[in-house]
Amino acid sequence: MHTDLSHYKEILIKGVWRENPVAYQVLGICSALAVTVKMSTALVMSIALTLVAAFSGLIISSLRHWIPSNIRIIVELTVIASLVIVTDQILKAFLYDISKQLSIFVGLIITNCIILGRAEAFAMANNPADSFVDGIANGLGYSMILVAVAFLRELLGSGQFFGFSVIPQFLYDMGFQDMGIMVLAPGAFFIIGLLVWLKNSLPGVSHEKK
Amino acid sequence: MSDKKSSFKKSRIYVVLFALVTALVFSVLITSAATMLKERQLENMALDKKTNLLEAAGLVPEDKKPTPEDIKQIYDAHIREVHVDPRGRIVETPAGNSLQLYLIHTDQKVQGYIVPISTRGLWGKIHGYLAFEQDGETVAGFSVYSHSETPGLGGEIESNWFQENFEGKKILNASNQLVSVGIAKGKVENLPEKLQDHYVDGISGATLTGRYLSEGLEETLTKYESVSVIFRQKKGSQTNLETILDE
Repeated sequence: MHTDLSHYKEILIKGVWRENPVAYQVLGICSALAVTVKMSTALVMSIALTLVAAFSGLIISSLRHWIPSNIRIIVELTVIASLVIVTDQILKAFLYDISKQLSIFVGLIITNCIILGRAEAFAMANNPADSFVDGIANGLGYSMILVAVAFLRELLGSGQFFGFSVIPQFLYDMGFQDMGIMVLAPGAFFIIGLLVWLKNSLPGVSHEKK
Repeated sequence: MSDKKSSFKKSRIYVVLFALVTALVFSVLITSAATMLKERQLENMALDKKTNLLEAAGLVPEDKKPTPEDIKQIYDAHIREVHVDPRGRIVETPAGNSLQLYLIHTDQKVQGYIVPISTRGLWGKIHGYLAFEQDGETVAGFSVYSHSETPGLGGEIESNWFQENFEGKKILNASNQLVSVGIAKGKVENLPEKLQDHYVDGISGATLTGRYLSEGLEETLTKYESVSVIFRQKKGSQTNLETILDE
């Protein structure tokens, strides 16, 4: 049935794992490269994106019977852009320090392909509650990859976890060095590639067998 | 009825009407969010500016996070904003060519001064403060309050490890020439010894941000040289708040 819990669970699992936006749909890579140098920025970005994905899904899905199909992309973008601007304003008013760190990337949620992709592929064809859950699911799927990448990049690139040094000093004394490339964009490419490979080589998730 | 409705929904009028209503609804939403939160945002910005001035001057207590009231109180007790003419003398009313700076004082005695920095960065303007000791050549601190550099790369200019590097650097070389403070490519310890006093550690992956910031610092310090000269001449002798920058 369409309203029972297992139905929502299905949407969640699909968004978070089976059709993970970054690892399976390969969307949102640009911001996954940009904000994953540190855990703190990756986490706030994840929360902001999940909220925008969920509420844009909800609003667009509620309007789906009234949106004229020839201007639907424009309407979708209007909804998304408005939500992002409001999110940015709220961050500036209540979490000023973090909003300063994220600077332009909150604004760039507008151009994140995951949001428009879900609006176009899911919210336009499903009811508001499903679309809301789908937004959360895809947001969480994106967050999972983002946080994993940020964890590895911050650990290997700066020897830190949430800004605290975690690599003991004696390792540095013995000649251990932070990997400079992890701080740069190519480091994120390597890690995302490896994560996608890892996910797809786990038993039961390979795309080829589908 | 439903036929009529669905044919209306396919008409151009409906498309235009829908677009207009959508635009209206969402612009009202954005405008009201921006207006309602504006006061809070401006407050945050003003507070952030004061915090950064105090950070540059090294006046923020390290052990605990200061409350907004603490910041306001320390600011009022230790910082005074002044404008000076190009010769470095205080003017009452800021004119077109006057420079803005902040005096750091304790009990009416001047401890140093803070120069506002405004330079281009990689993606946008970098705004910050550079504080000096009262000898007019030793950097007391540096802070950044607004920039659009890449988080984690150029954005590191606002991190503590980068800013703390500036403390104790000299803007004059051995023959008393202005050399400014530059951002090194890589670590300062790899530079020749006579340059080490004038450079801070660079940020890996942010060569351009460092270069623009170095250029901006040099430009600003050249402009404020007249003020620094007065401080150097009056080293240790004249430190009264009211008269330090008078004739």
